[in-house]
Amino acid sequence: MAFEDAGEGRVTAARHALGWLVLANAVGVWMAALLLWPSLGSLTGEAGYGRWVPVHLNVQLYGWTSLPLLCWLFAIHQVGSSKWAGPAIWGWSAALLLGAVSWLSGHTTGKIFLDWSGGSLLALMLAQGLLWWVLAAAWRRHRTGWTKLKRIATALGLLMLAGVPWMLAMATSPSTYPPFDKTTGGPTGASLLGSTLSVVAMLLMLPASLGLSRAKPSKRWLWWVFVAEFVTFIALEAKGGTHFSLPQIIGLGLLLPWLWWIPSEWKCFDWPERSIFWKRSMLVWWGLLTVAGWLEFLPGVLDRMKFTNGLVAHAHLAMAGFTSSFGLLLLTLLGGEKICSSLSRGGLIWNAAVGLHVLVLMICGWLEGGSTSWIDGHPLWREAAFIIRFLCGLIMLYVAAFWWRGSLSNSDDS
Amino acid sequence: MNRKLSSGISVSLAVAGVYAYFLLFAQFAFLGLLQAKVSGEGLKIVLSMMALGGVVSGFVVSRSGKSGRTAFIVAMLSCAVVARCSPLTDSSFLFAMLSLVMGASLGTATVCLASLIGRNLEPGSGCLWVGLGTGLAYGCCNIPVVFMASPAVQASVSAAFATLAALGGAKLDDLRGEMPGVKAIPWRAILVFGALVWMDSAAFYVIQHAPELKDGTWGPERLWRNAAVHVVAAIFAGFWLSRGGWKSLCVTAWAVLALAGWWVNDAATREWAGWIYPAAVSLYSTALVAWPGLLAVRTESAGRSIASRAAWLFGIAGWIGSANGIGMVESLQRVPGLFLILAGLVVVGGTSLKRLNRRAAFVVLFMGLAAFFGRKKPSVSTDAVERGRQVYLSEGCIHCHSRYVRPGSADEAVWGRSADPTLTAAEKPVLIGNRRQGPDLLRVGGRRSEGWLRAHFLDPRLLSPDSVMPAYGHLFQDQRGGDLITFLRQNVAEDVAETQARAASWKPAANLQPDASKGKLLFTNSCIACHGAGGRGDGPLAQDLKSPPRNLLVGPFSWTLARPDEPQLSTVMRVLKFGLPGTDMPGHETWSDQDLADLAALVLELRHQP
Repeated sequence: MAFEDAGEGRVTAARHALGWLVLANAVGVWMAALLLWPSLGSLTGEAGYGRWVPVHLNVQLYGWTSLPLLCWLFAIHQVGSSKWAGPAIWGWSAALLLGAVSWLSGHTTGKIFLDWSGGSLLALMLAQGLLWWVLAAAWRRHRTGWTKLKRIATALGLLMLAGVPWMLAMATSPSTYPPFDKTTGGPTGASLLGSTLSVVAMLLMLPASLGLSRAKPSKRWLWWVFVAEFVTFIALEAKGGTHFSLPQIIGLGLLLPWLWWIPSEWKCFDWPERSIFWKRSMLVWWGLLTVAGWLEFLPGVLDRMKFTNGLVAHAHLAMAGFTSSFGLLLLTLLGGEKICSSLSRGGLIWNAAVGLHVLVLMICGWLEGGSTSWIDGHPLWREAAFIIRFLCGLIMLYVAAFWWRGSLSNSDDS
Repeated sequence: MNRKLSSGISVSLAVAGVYAYFLLFAQFAFLGLLQAKVSGEGLKIVLSMMALGGVVSGFVVSRSGKSGRTAFIVAMLSCAVVARCSPLTDSSFLFAMLSLVMGASLGTATVCLASLIGRNLEPGSGCLWVGLGTGLAYGCCNIPVVFMASPAVQASVSAAFATLAALGGAKLDDLRGEMPGVKAIPWRAILVFGALVWMDSAAFYVIQHAPELKDGTWGPERLWRNAAVHVVAAIFAGFWLSRGGWKSLCVTAWAVLALAGWWVNDAATREWAGWIYPAAVSLYSTALVAWPGLLAVRTESAGRSIASRAAWLFGIAGWIGSANGIGMVESLQRVPGLFLILAGLVVVGGTSLKRLNRRAAFVVLFMGLAAFFGRKKPSVSTDAVERGRQVYLSEGCIHCHSRYVRPGSADEAVWGRSADPTLTAAEKPVLIGNRRQGPDLLRVGGRRSEGWLRAHFLDPRLLSPDSVMPAYGHLFQDQRGGDLITFLRQNVAEDVAETQARAASWKPAANLQPDASKGKLLFTNSCIACHGAGGRGDGPLAQDLKSPPRNLLVGPFSWTLARPDEPQLSTVMRVLKFGLPGTDMPGHETWSDQDLADLAALVLELRHQP
């Protein structure tokens, strides 16, 4: 994937993604500060800690995580020179900003990551509609030059994407809620298997969809394994169960072999030199996330870690570790030369800060799970953990700001 | 006198006179006189005449090429005449005519003044004089005797301001015979300043018409402060502009204005809003006045070019932006966050983008409008529990509290019996939560009284010094606080019975070593808010609770007298751990048995003091 193909849409998406990373991290640091010094909350009036949380979570997901994926979609569809690609990204960001205003104003559905309602939901649906139109127009323009497989796969993808705004509207409704494990109040092993398999599918598709040249023949049998595991997910979801049920534990354990299979599949492709750091980082974070996720689901462990900072640590392992490095890999490959150059520095510091942050919160969660006395007592170990978390957040914020500034300082990409 | 100094003083006087006239008469006194005689549609027509006159005259005078000293002096003297005549008027028609003349005179004067500023001042240092004039205008209008005067008196003062402006203008160099200048439309400045004026006008109108907001920001006792802040901020703005950077100043002004607009909505932060709102207004107002003559890229410095820029800027950003901002918030009692963000998008985008992408601007604007018109007014339930559930959602309580006791787990010993999971799943939305920064709240009604919950919402750290819970006093300025408590205690009878049953069956650990000296710290942290430092039931919250806290020295001790089957220490420990369900005495569910024993020992020790 050549840099010169980046186009306004991809460069805009990359810049906005990094901008949202800065904002999300700034909000995260603010929340960490509120836990250390709660009286600071009076500075923001009615917008207290509970209203900042959805801003932090949704900006990470819909801003930082989603925009690199849109960058990827633009690359697959060769959106390149479309005059509406950049404006469509602006529309997406405007919708997210409107969402942030609504969450700070106390408008919420109460559903984590599906907190869209009223005008902001409408704006996001319209933004998705505009993006779909940009992708569809590119498909129409380029389809004759594509292979039959790509033509059909992208057409099916467009059909699925056409349903996303409506699915979003339904999913945000307070009336719908996925099945949950009655012993914990959290997701079942099957739900976790299903959602992670969607990530596996993306990882399997990534190199080929970017047009990377093959060094070795592809392992097509992996797709059959994927299909088998997906069928297993459906069966386990239908059967239901708790984290004490062996089928649920084994079902979630089916993800573990992918820790070897994904790297081995990726080795079949020639990756650009510039992508090596974030590719390796992503595989490490992905491995840690999968192993930790399975271990934390085991009886005894989940019972101790549920509702504690241990699961906050897991969420940061997923978002600051895995999805961030995946997003950075995509931006390195697709965001244009200047953005790639900006992302070539600061990676080690970012990874170290995320690692320490996750480790400290994980230990904190384990200790919290031993007794509830910390709620009133505020022991030293917990205060120390919160201070380390705050400092790690500041480092991550600094690195994110450095990347963003680097992406903005050169406007010749667009 | 030094020529530069003389020009600077004259410009300052002219700016101060024009601006003060506009602020005091056009925005306040004329409106007051008008509202006393005219109402309804007539009022709107009269005010529309002013805007019409302002916009049209600006363009006419800029195109005529006569935007010089004479036109300025005539316009300001006309303004003075209008101000003197207005108190004598009582018919709608005459008010409409006066409004038209005033609008036309102000439109002419502002465009002429912009040209004269460009002709008489240097781009750098000149901004300081503009800042001084702007600051003086705001400062004079905020002097209590002027601000609080009747509309008729304010009209007389305004006429004096207009005359002062004319005198200042008379000392300035007139435009020389020039070739016609370029008449390019300054879109970027129109967008940036238009958004600021729009946001400021909307915020000003909301604050002006909401009594509690008005009292908290520019009530009578705060006028001198506001005057000083205006003067200092405007001079500072002049200094900032003299060193370049009108764009950074506008972004800063937006940020400060947005923060003020946000803070003013909340009683806790309203006082701070009162400090920064005038500062933000003075910052951008100075830039607005200075822009056409001193700050615009001066590839064309002919007076006619400056006049054209001023006509476009003041006509669209000033007159139309102001009317539009007011029109959109007429029925609101709060400054909408959406306004602040939309204005921010325009200001930041307009100042930072090297070239404005019209498609992106269109899409962003479209999204904003879609969200504005697509917003739903939340339906207010007649059921307090349902309303309380909405407050629980709005405040994001689920991010720190669970409402799910895991069946068969250690949770049940601390937070109470688990509920039927099918009932939990039937809630809309499901409120399980996924994090506990604080206690589970499923059965909090059995553990905490209404009075305790209220006191805790108002000041969490008074009851629990290490609590990370934010204070929610603002919820009790309306019914939200009460509704939230009703929601939390919706099953109070069942929950109280459940807590009592758990308490009755509880047994403390064996081999405890009670130490009253260690109990003192626990007492200080957790008991004195109600029981007082000496344990006499006279803590700061004692008067607010329905069941008065016991005097721990003399009783009566109906709840903690020894049961025949256990030592008195265990009985007291039970009360400390589970509280007295149904009263204001809370439990301390998360404490260790050793801590309970230490505090119980202290309580028993107090009981035996004289």
